[in-house]
Amino acid sequence: MTGAPLTEGAALLIVLLVGFLPTEIWRSLAVLAGRRVEEGSPVFHWVKAVATALLAAVVARLLFAPAGALAAVPLALRLGAVACGVAGFLAFRRSVFAGVLVGEIVLIAGIVLSR
Amino acid sequence: MSAPSASHPAHHAPAVWFLKGVRAGLSVPAIVLFASYLGFGAVLQSVGFPLGAGLASTLLVWALPAQLILIGGIAAGTALPALALAVALSSMRLLPMVVSVAPYLRGPRRSLFWELVCAHYVAMTVWLESLRLLPHLPGEARLPFTLGLGNMLIAVSMCGTVAGFLVAGELPTPLAAGLLLLTPLSFTVLMVRNAVVPTDWLALAAGFLLMPATLGLDGGLDLMIAGIGGGSFAYLAGRLLERRRRGRP
Repeated sequence: MTGAPLTEGAALLIVLLVGFLPTEIWRSLAVLAGRRVEEGSPVFHWVKAVATALLAAVVARLLFAPAGALAAVPLALRLGAVACGVAGFLAFRRSVFAGVLVGEIVLIAGIVLSR
Repeated sequence: MSAPSASHPAHHAPAVWFLKGVRAGLSVPAIVLFASYLGFGAVLQSVGFPLGAGLASTLLVWALPAQLILIGGIAAGTALPALALAVALSSMRLLPMVVSVAPYLRGPRRSLFWELVCAHYVAMTVWLESLRLLPHLPGEARLPFTLGLGNMLIAVSMCGTVAGFLVAGELPTPLAAGLLLLTPLSFTVLMVRNAVVPTDWLALAAGFLLMPATLGLDGGLDLMIAGIGGGSFAYLAGRLLERRRRGRP
């Protein structure tokens, strides 16, 4: 975490204003407006692309600049484990569970073997 | 499961329907949610985010991608208004989900307040479970059933958040690293699964590749550049590809 660690109160305020409000507004709008949103509209496609890229960026951040115990693992092993997870997902009939399992096994085996 | 069939809708008090919803919440999706939030709790612990506020995010935000963007952005030092925009963009997908479930939540007597409360529980899991289960329930059962289901799944997820947070600091290194890998690993696999059109793949690649390139930048702009910049690039490039493909005889 950059800067001073957050206090519980400040963090709660951030969760309310930056997390809860920007999320809940869409759920409330859906009930209040209730109209069907055009899923094929250009705005909808743009938002979907941005949401995907945002999530991919956050995931990349967790892999390229991790904290805690993952930070001590070499970058190549972190990326390799995720690549093996995706390969496992594709190999085992597109099973998300199999993909996650393969990735975890590769990471943990890699850490234990490199000691 | 003891879901009543559509042909013989049983009549119960709302409290009974609530409890039936609670029981429907104890299912395979609950296990998946628990594991996902276990990873989220470990991420909270690793970046030094307070547990109470992290738990509040599970209860109040109740959308794991938005929660990850929130925590990741704070850890990266992103300006809060920019982060709010990022969270809003990531959560906009909830709108069509709620719109598609809303007709089931309108009971015989319409109550805007309870419809808004019920809408809060709609995220990927509750959305899928509602579309699967609610059509088979009598009208007056749907609202209390959804409340029971939603509260049960949130409770399970909050337990996962606490467990991940508490366990992350105690495990031996290989397992602690494995716990922290759970979130980026599962989300990568899920995004690969959900990618259908070229725009999806481009957005996935742009976000993933732009992030390490922007890591050194000041002001926590990395998330905005990789997310909004990368996503917009993917949208435009995807449209261009689509047009070129259509243009061909």
